[in-house]
Amino acid sequence: MLDMKNIRKVFRTDLVETCALDDFSLTVDQGEFVTITGPSGCGKTTFLNIAGLLETHTSGQYLLDGVDVSELRDYARAKLRNQKIGFIFQSFNLMPDLNLFDNIDVPLRYRGMKSRERKERVDKALDSVGLFARRKHVPAQLSGGQQQRVAIARALVGDPLFLLADEPTGNLDSHTAMGVMALLEEINDSGTTIIMVTHDQSLAEQSKRNIHILDGRISTESTRRSEEAATVA
Amino acid sequence: MFYYYLRLSALSYRRNPILSSLMVFAIAIGVGAYMVIFTLNYVMGGNPIPQKSAELFHVQIDSGNPNTQDDPPPQLTYLDARALIEANSAFRETPTSKMSGILEPEGDDVRPFSIVGRGSSADFFPMFNVPFLYGTPWDGSADRNLQQVVVITKELNERLYGGNDSTGKTLRLHGYSFQITGVLDDWSPVPKFYDVNNNAFEGSEEVFIPWNLITSLEFPRNGNTSCWKAPEPGPDGFLNSECVWVQYWVELRDSDEEADYLQFLNNYAAQQKEFGRLPREMNNGLFDVEEWLLKQEVLPNETKILSALAAMLLAVCLLNTIGLLLSKFLGKSGEIGVRQALGAHKGSLFLQHVIEAGFIGLLGGLLGLVVAAAGLEGIKILLGEDLMRTDWIQLNPTVVAVTLLLAVFATIAAGFYPIWRACNINPAIHLKTQ
Repeated sequence: MLDMKNIRKVFRTDLVETCALDDFSLTVDQGEFVTITGPSGCGKTTFLNIAGLLETHTSGQYLLDGVDVSELRDYARAKLRNQKIGFIFQSFNLMPDLNLFDNIDVPLRYRGMKSRERKERVDKALDSVGLFARRKHVPAQLSGGQQQRVAIARALVGDPLFLLADEPTGNLDSHTAMGVMALLEEINDSGTTIIMVTHDQSLAEQSKRNIHILDGRISTESTRRSEEAATVA
Repeated sequence: MFYYYLRLSALSYRRNPILSSLMVFAIAIGVGAYMVIFTLNYVMGGNPIPQKSAELFHVQIDSGNPNTQDDPPPQLTYLDARALIEANSAFRETPTSKMSGILEPEGDDVRPFSIVGRGSSADFFPMFNVPFLYGTPWDGSADRNLQQVVVITKELNERLYGGNDSTGKTLRLHGYSFQITGVLDDWSPVPKFYDVNNNAFEGSEEVFIPWNLITSLEFPRNGNTSCWKAPEPGPDGFLNSECVWVQYWVELRDSDEEADYLQFLNNYAAQQKEFGRLPREMNNGLFDVEEWLLKQEVLPNETKILSALAAMLLAVCLLNTIGLLLSKFLGKSGEIGVRQALGAHKGSLFLQHVIEAGFIGLLGGLLGLVVAAAGLEGIKILLGEDLMRTDWIQLNPTVVAVTLLLAVFATIAAGFYPIWRACNINPAIHLKTQ
């Protein structure tokens, strides 16, 4: 489903050149729940941005659901992002002026969906996170955990191929974080692939598969079945 | 998606009301000031009779001073005007001159008062598409037979007869009885093209009488009179002189008639030269309405300077708007990044913000109409009714439409750079820092 081979990403300015990812290869299959960990500046967010087609890679190959994204232009990348990927952010990134219904509705509008079908999907998504009754409220009227639930609903409303979560519990207290994680696991159990960046080691240990990045490369990869860590040279 | 983007524009305005309102005010001031000058130019410089302006011609016969290089006089002598009307060479034609007199209404209800009128032929009314409320103009036989008939304006009819049908009634003008044949409907061409020599923007005359009666009944002339040499003494001396005081218009239906009439004028002028008149080089002409207005410089040069100043003010306001839009749209970088993450491509983001710029432009245009209306009222006060009619100085549907379109498209044009900058942000940076 997600297949990266020898991905390299170099950021260049007039003064300095930074290699954020170097010879990075990763394959994620349908239904997996993968956590990405690593120290600050190791390339986690760069990986996430490339995976989410928000950044281009300098070299290497990235196949998303069999499509080589290297040569895709902005319109095609946007369409692929809209149809295949759902994003969950640490700071929720809900639009403050729009109510919950309108926030979740945004990706469906860019898909050109008709009004009735959009309403059905949004209502269903809100119901799945237990916030249907508050669909006319704006994000400021919700708690952090509720806002993140809305963000998850927005990410799921278009039936994406996989979810990319960038520290989804980073701004939540531990109790709320557990609730959000439980929701994500429930989503994964229903078949949606999740790739999650996290600083939280306990969450990484709980996940079925953990990738640890160091200096732009995968340093360790572990799965919950195997207790042995495979060290990537 | 258009209505969706419009809704987003309204929400965005509400989120930054002060910044958005500053832009609206800037556009309103620039567009409003520009539209004040545009309105003046549009009305003053417009074609007052577009449907047949190309068929109406002002006649020029150069009877000017042979010792100077001045332009040919804009009017004709009495001799030339009489000769032309008697020759009857055009499809329709009319001499026309301003006159004045004392009007004595019937009954004791209204005291006698001074009025300004115009002498013309019967052809004047169909030539210039003059509308009638009651009755009709007099016919050609009334011109030839010096019948004392009169056409009055709607305003005068209102004053004397309460707006009722007054055709057939008699009124006393300059001591003579005139029978009313018709009452004009609203008619106020701007500029008053048929007589630009006597203030092209003043109101219409109150009465119209057969032109021949001006001289036969010795009405005081009220228009411009110019003589390059002193006339012989007495009324006949004046009428036979080279003093010009008559304007002459002809209606010619096609280029053949135009060529034929010009040849007629030249033949007439050649004949007059044999009699010792018209000493200057042959320089006769026919000018259609637009040509005549241009030649007589009806649109003052000052309006051109004002137009340039107003355009500069508008440019300054739009430059300010560019800065404000840049601030507004770059301030939305986070939201733009989120929308890109959710599947918006640059084209849709561009369109969303073009619509938002247009929305602000529309609001600015609506407020600009208020500014323009206030500016035009100010112009009216400055000019005053003493100098010219000012009722035509107002917003009309064309001006309103131009104002709104100008505001919308100017703001969109000003927004192009800010929108392009905003749509080319790196979403990854703003998503992390949101």
